[in-house]
Amino acid sequence: MMPSQYGQAALGSAEPAIEIEGASIVFERGGKSTIAVDAVSLRIARGAFVCLLGPSGCGKSTLLNAIAGFEPLRSGTIRVSGSEVVGPGPDRAVVFQQPNLFPWKSARDNIAHGPRMAGHSKAEALRQADALIDMVGLGRFAGAYPHELSGGMQQRVAIARALATRPGILLMDEPFGALDAQTRSIMQDNLLRLWPRISATIVFVTHDIEEAILLADRILVMSAGPGRILREIAVDLPRPRSVDLAVDPHFLALKKECLDLIRQESRHVFEADEARPGR
Amino acid sequence: MSTGHSLEASPVGRSAVTRRIGSLLNAAVGYLSLPLFLLIWEAVSRAGIVNTVLFPPPTVVAQALHEWLISGELPSDLAASLARVAVGFLLGSTCGVGVGILTGRISFVARLLGPVFQILRPIPPIAFVPIVILWFGLAESGKIFLIFWGVFFTVWLSTHLGVQKVDRGLIRAAQMLGTPRLRLHWEIIFLGALPYIVVGLRTAVGISFYTLVAAELAGAFSGVFYRIALAQQNMQTGLVLGGLVVLGLVSFLADRAFAAAAARLVWWR
Repeated sequence: MMPSQYGQAALGSAEPAIEIEGASIVFERGGKSTIAVDAVSLRIARGAFVCLLGPSGCGKSTLLNAIAGFEPLRSGTIRVSGSEVVGPGPDRAVVFQQPNLFPWKSARDNIAHGPRMAGHSKAEALRQADALIDMVGLGRFAGAYPHELSGGMQQRVAIARALATRPGILLMDEPFGALDAQTRSIMQDNLLRLWPRISATIVFVTHDIEEAILLADRILVMSAGPGRILREIAVDLPRPRSVDLAVDPHFLALKKECLDLIRQESRHVFEADEARPGR
Repeated sequence: MSTGHSLEASPVGRSAVTRRIGSLLNAAVGYLSLPLFLLIWEAVSRAGIVNTVLFPPPTVVAQALHEWLISGELPSDLAASLARVAVGFLLGSTCGVGVGILTGRISFVARLLGPVFQILRPIPPIAFVPIVILWFGLAESGKIFLIFWGVFFTVWLSTHLGVQKVDRGLIRAAQMLGTPRLRLHWEIIFLGALPYIVVGLRTAVGISFYTLVAAELAGAFSGVFYRIALAQQNMQTGLVLGGLVVLGLVSFLADRAFAAAAARLVWWR
């Protein structure tokens, strides 16, 4: 396996992949407004793997959706490769919590959709799709329709579909959250092996501390109500990593740091409620 | 069938033989339904309980149907009626899908057309017969207009609702893959709403057949319902009932054919 060409060495390089300045997102519902994201500023270096970690409802998915261009900002700016985000686009591919595959297309045609939209010929788009479907290990299922695939397989097709646009940035919104523990661990391993082969900056949203430490170079811990970046934790564990890392002492130390931080935050939010540190 | 199954599971059920006979009888009843109905009709009519001139037995109806067929008028009447239904259905459903996508996606268009459509939609097409005669005279276009009217609103409403129910996740996925707006609408939105649209289209098949009655009531020179109205004036009660049988049979077959086509239309299910 190749080491990451875009690993930590690229951190702090001149132009960041993503630059967020004072971004606020407000939801209006029934005359009541809720601040989902409150004046968040951050920079993500090209080629980095960053996890947004926090309890549910802390605005981490909302922030990701804003980078994707789905969620408009109340104030502030988000810049990707120097230009401001005004809407969704193939330079920022998204893997959603649900696979969201087009049910009327086979796995192969789902993956070929992006290249087709980018103006490639049908033959070329299918050639690229075939390469990607092999990369996620589903070559045998190229012709299968989404409903014929398991949840884990659908999510692998969704990852291949996102990669097919050759995005500079891959946004992943709790992509393994709906999978069972066994499948989830296999998917994490796959992603770790896949990442060095794709030249993309990854922003990965999760509420799972172990997942964040295993995958990321940097963890941005978010707090709830309103959503803010609480702290940044650098994960200096060597790559290549595997799920075996979960018993490494350094891993455990990082886990404790995150746990304490989130527990403290939970205590702050829920006061007496100390029973939900992992959420 | 399912009742038989639950009986088998019961420890205090009837004996195996009785159950077997029971399930056979259950299956046979389905095939006997129509012949039994005709037999009773024939018997009631022949027994002189009712006036056979007004209520002719099935054999007389069959004879009227036979004469209608060999005179060559049945095929030409059927062709005229089916052509009206087909043209009205195609125009009405095409416009219904198109406008439904517009109102479902663009709230400005929905606000503009919604109130007008909601008022026009409940008016039964048959109520338009007088004004259609004034507008179109006895021209074929008036009859097609009536069927169009009946089909359009049904298909519009189901498309409109279907479009709004398209999974937001699918739309976002298409957007992030760089799907242009127009393509997003005719591929993602249309296919996403297709299961709903198909339900509307199937309802519209039935509607187009009963709007046909209104259409031919507006004045025609051929057609299945035209023939029924004519036979009524000549006291040919056998032909009147025969016409109803043809109307029922044709709309039943059209519904079945559409159901079969719908299964292929939504091919990924």
